[in-house]
Amino acid sequence: MPVFKLCFKILKKNMFLMTMYIVIFIVVSIIMAFASANEQKNLSSFTQEKRNIVFITEDSSPLVEGLKQELGKIANFVDIPDQTEALQDALYFRVVTYVLRIPRGFTEAFMRGEDVQVEKTVAPASYGNLYIDLTVDKYLNTARLYVNQLENLSLESLVERLRQDLSQSTVTELGRVHNNTGSNAYLKYYYNYLPYSLINILIFGMAELAIVFNNSDLRKRNACSPLSSKSMNLQYMLANVVFALLSWFITVAVCFALNFKKSLNMSTVYYMLNFFVFAICAATMSFMLGNLVNRGAITAVSNVVSLGLSFISGVFVPQEFIGSYVLKVASFTPTYWYVYTNDRIAELTQFDFEKFKYVLPGMLIQLCFALAFFSVAMVIAKKKRLS
Amino acid sequence: MFAHIFRYRLKCLLRDRETIFWTLVFPLILAVLFNMAFSNLNKVEGFSPIDIAVVDNRQYQEDQYFKMTLKEVSQGDDRLFNLVVVSEDEANKLLNENSIAGYIVVEDSVKLVVNQTGIEQSIIKSFLDNYIQTLSAVNSILTLNPAGGQELFNELGNRYQYIREVPIAKAEPNNILLYFYSLIAMACLYGSFFGMREINDTQPNITPLAARINTAPVHKLKLFIYSMSASILIHITEIFILLLFLRFVINVDFGTRTVYVILTAIVGSVVGNAFGAFISATVKKDENLKIGISICVSMVGSFLSGMMYQNMKYIVAKKMPLLSYLNPVNLLTDAFYCLYYYDSLEKYALNMSILLIFILAFCSGIYLMVRRRKYASI
Repeated sequence: MPVFKLCFKILKKNMFLMTMYIVIFIVVSIIMAFASANEQKNLSSFTQEKRNIVFITEDSSPLVEGLKQELGKIANFVDIPDQTEALQDALYFRVVTYVLRIPRGFTEAFMRGEDVQVEKTVAPASYGNLYIDLTVDKYLNTARLYVNQLENLSLESLVERLRQDLSQSTVTELGRVHNNTGSNAYLKYYYNYLPYSLINILIFGMAELAIVFNNSDLRKRNACSPLSSKSMNLQYMLANVVFALLSWFITVAVCFALNFKKSLNMSTVYYMLNFFVFAICAATMSFMLGNLVNRGAITAVSNVVSLGLSFISGVFVPQEFIGSYVLKVASFTPTYWYVYTNDRIAELTQFDFEKFKYVLPGMLIQLCFALAFFSVAMVIAKKKRLS
Repeated sequence: MFAHIFRYRLKCLLRDRETIFWTLVFPLILAVLFNMAFSNLNKVEGFSPIDIAVVDNRQYQEDQYFKMTLKEVSQGDDRLFNLVVVSEDEANKLLNENSIAGYIVVEDSVKLVVNQTGIEQSIIKSFLDNYIQTLSAVNSILTLNPAGGQELFNELGNRYQYIREVPIAKAEPNNILLYFYSLIAMACLYGSFFGMREINDTQPNITPLAARINTAPVHKLKLFIYSMSASILIHITEIFILLLFLRFVINVDFGTRTVYVILTAIVGSVVGNAFGAFISATVKKDENLKIGISICVSMVGSFLSGMMYQNMKYIVAKKMPLLSYLNPVNLLTDAFYCLYYYDSLEKYALNMSILLIFILAFCSGIYLMVRRRKYASI
């Protein structure tokens, strides 16, 4: 199979750059997958990791003490001097994510039933802050009930009652088939980041092959070889398919190598299947693009396409955080459906045929994309050959 | 002489479409993508109601107050829950099908059953916790003051907002800005493509153009400085276009100190160019490797400064503070953010001085390596 061999010789020649890209992408994916999985875990478990906060009070009273104790259940207090620059630094470097300030005369005004507020300064986009907000609001609202209803309640007994009330909590039970998203988040994120690397690698390799084979002199030379054009095309196709399979295999293997234990379950099989479908799609897309670009434009195209698709369709930023109009645009891309299916797989708790139907539509849509890309690629290739 | 070389160098560089793409078009495309992906991060998106079920048993039917509370939060457009009242078996089935996030059973106390822990489940639990805690408060108030019944229930509906957010300085902290700032920093470092080309074009063993230029009776250092200034001029212009685009099309806030922002952009561009030239002078192998190294450094640098994953910046600052001062992308990002965020210029000055040290180091490196290079035969 001379053509097949030639293809791999060409790929081998570009091995160094490709390996460099693969290594960079995979390292980035891994760090991001681990980091996001950790974040997700903190976000989703009922037992919140304690946040670091600064508690500054210009008012001292049992009520403020009580609030501090209540906050102590969900937060660590960090001592930072009450100076703008110092607090700014602490928030900037995320030493703390929340600064709570109780203004002077707070308790007195509160007990008189006046409208008073405590002040907060937060580092943006730290979701755990929500729990601090909730706790403060709950504490003060409950206190307000007592203050308005019972006129001669002493501060001490108010605080004592609040302590008792707020120590109650709901009994939570995990259902029979419970799915621990925390531990599986790693898998989901790893697979979510993969399209970025895969698209890059595939466009890079396939464009390289297409450019060599589209060279008209070379084509003329090949046309007079004793090899039938059918066999030549088949070998060329086969090389592309093998290359795509290899890329798929390497990325999946890395996932296993990194975290063998967590990868051994049914959802991995689903993720792998979905990623396989996506690989078909990405391969046909790269094949199409490879026939369109010239050598100088390969890196530009592969970067723009991979980053563009990744950004708008939820590879880098989870889909729930992306604006709805962007997602509408994104639904015209295969990556959107890949991530969509992954998110659905992450929700699965059982893996029977019923459940498979739940994730099937996303995969079928990706296959349709693949078919469309392939047909366009064929038309382009034909046109190029005739010109 | 200067005018001549400078003019032709400008023409020559402007016709290099590939470099123009990477240094100008690519950052612009990324800016648009960032805007699409991140525009919603800081906003609170329309909250969609959570699907839950409550088990229809005797205790639930008897607990009028709980029933009422649940009904209240499951009504209207801004409702918290989509509620269904079903039997326990049905609730289990719904839960296993993922049609609901969890279900509530009223027994001696209120119980929540879920299959997984997630944001939705945490919200349900917070709601229920709040309910039983308030209930406990109501009970203890009623034992002390049995007369206050009606008034108390009326008051339960009013919740006061006890927290007010105050910015610590004039600028509000804003994480999305960091993405855009690190994008500018990356674009600055992409200036290395220009710097790299300048060195390549003085090395006769790399390009035929350099071979031709080397035969010209012009002082090589002067020649290099002249053409380098053309490169830097083009790159600074590109960075300005990017800044203008970010400021006026995407509405990125740069704070009020415009002059310093411009100064930072200029220094950033020079760092990028000097870096590229330095790499090009150090690596004597082929061009691909040079490009590879410079992309690698700027990408890894951008990654470490939080362009792809924001928390990376804080991880580096916490675990390896030295690295954050050795990473030019991070220094530039911080310089922009300092201008926006801090009132004093102390931190900004620190970042800028390190950048200037980088420029000095690169330039002296280039000088030492490139000077008096001789080519016996090519």
